[in-house]
Amino acid sequence: MNDPTYYDRPVLKAPHWGWNVVTYLLLGGLTGGLGIVAALADPKTEGGRKLRTTARRTSLVVAIANPLLLISHLGRPERFLHMLRTFKPGSPMSLGVWGLVAYSTTAAASTVIEDDRLTILQAILGAYLTGYTGVLLSATAVPLWSAGKTHIPAASVCSSLASACALAGAISSVTGNIGAVRKLDRLELVATACEAAILVHFNAAGGPRVRRVVARMAVPLALALAGNLVHVPTKHVRTRTLLSAALTLTAGYIFRHALIEEGKISTKDPHAGFRQPQ
Amino acid sequence: MSETGFFTDTTLCIGCKACEVACKQWNELPSDGFSFTGDSYDNTSELSGTTWRHVAFVEQVAIEPAAPSPIVEKWLMMSDVCKHCTHAGCQEACPTGAIAKNEFGNVYVQPDVCNGCGYCVVSCPFGVIDLVDPVDDERKFSVSNLSETRRDANQTAIQNNGGVAGKCTLCYDRQQIGETPACAKACPTESIQFGVLDELRERARTRVETLAERGVEARLYGADDIGGGIGPLNAFFLLTDRPEVYNLPVTPVLPSTRQRAGYAAAAGAAIALALAGWAIMRAR
Repeated sequence: MNDPTYYDRPVLKAPHWGWNVVTYLLLGGLTGGLGIVAALADPKTEGGRKLRTTARRTSLVVAIANPLLLISHLGRPERFLHMLRTFKPGSPMSLGVWGLVAYSTTAAASTVIEDDRLTILQAILGAYLTGYTGVLLSATAVPLWSAGKTHIPAASVCSSLASACALAGAISSVTGNIGAVRKLDRLELVATACEAAILVHFNAAGGPRVRRVVARMAVPLALALAGNLVHVPTKHVRTRTLLSAALTLTAGYIFRHALIEEGKISTKDPHAGFRQPQ
Repeated sequence: MSETGFFTDTTLCIGCKACEVACKQWNELPSDGFSFTGDSYDNTSELSGTTWRHVAFVEQVAIEPAAPSPIVEKWLMMSDVCKHCTHAGCQEACPTGAIAKNEFGNVYVQPDVCNGCGYCVVSCPFGVIDLVDPVDDERKFSVSNLSETRRDANQTAIQNNGGVAGKCTLCYDRQQIGETPACAKACPTESIQFGVLDELRERARTRVETLAERGVEARLYGADDIGGGIGPLNAFFLLTDRPEVYNLPVTPVLPSTRQRAGYAAAAGAAIALALAGWAIMRAR
């Protein structure tokens, strides 16, 4: 920190992104995660078939909200279609937009036709959606995001799948598909535990900025984990599942909100732009 | 067509800000308002979507014990500008293809294609490009305020009501009619030199040698590959101090080079969770 600065002015520019991008980061991952849940559901059982239908339909509904959020954040929203005038696989945002288009089309088709091969394609495209937003952040000059070049993408995948399990579980508990709820709870627990492990590792590797992101995540994530671990009798499963789902989705939102806001703060550090990480 | 660029020789800069004014005038960029920073003579502060040349003022003061007040030992000035990178972070990030290399090898934002997503802003390792906020202020962006030749709103650099990304075009329009970019034309000391890159680089190396003979230690910034996957800069500088002193990054990195690691980590997590999910969801 002995570098001279230019009147403590930052080298880098701060992101302009606000609530609509934060919400998209959550919902985009949720949409993709539901595609994975649909493929994982066991078609040989009654509960599995019901879960597959639930996941397909929910995913499609959430998928419709994504482009609206993305369009609303543009400086010139009337030009959103300009994203589709070119295909640049080297740009995470360009590839992501095409991934979203491909996923939404596949999700609509698999909901209507209910074809199992389409569901596998949906899951592969869905896995891409859960991870690409993390790559989109880490492949920037923003100091916090570039510091988490592997942590943020991996944590995005885990958080998205946990959110998808939570939402699918909540809906299944309402429709009385209790068998599915129990299995989704277990998968959600594994995904949340993986996310927590990645964040703990990121916390150890990163500086004070990373610690602030992780600190903001800690309470909702711990509550979500606790909600999953508590075993309750069948008559209370619905209440517990709804509560636990709300906590998991809140943790997902806070994670992305903290990433964006702390990312903005990290660009203001006058030293942060001088030596950029590989 | 050989590539063109800027060679900014900071030893010749006198801090007159004629480049800033000429750039604003030619490109019809709005004022940034009046503000007094107290940072030497620098009230511009930084490059932005509507400020494409910025003169930095660095006062290096030495205290002389015998004298009653501090004595200014060295006063560094530098006209900063978009670096027009060989591999530009903004261009690689742009999802609409609005940011492209033109026939002069300069990084150019097509204002009628840009939709203001802001991804270029976070992808520039030099903190140059920025969004021009959408504003309703008629005085700032009204087409009627523009000159006759620029009445078509889509022809203006930042458009009539903003919302798009803006940065130095290296005066693409002037180059197309064989003119020198406005800042270089206006510079009274030839601190800003415009020309064909090979010639500029040769001239810059000769200048470093000449300065060395005169006892001035100078270095070039971006004349050769700057590292981090960015390559040489089409707008490079001659400095007499460390890059940080001028608020230039020491080791800039092309952000898109981190993608591979990110996708690999995401794929690893997805495969691990899919296997765990298969075991859990398909269990009887």
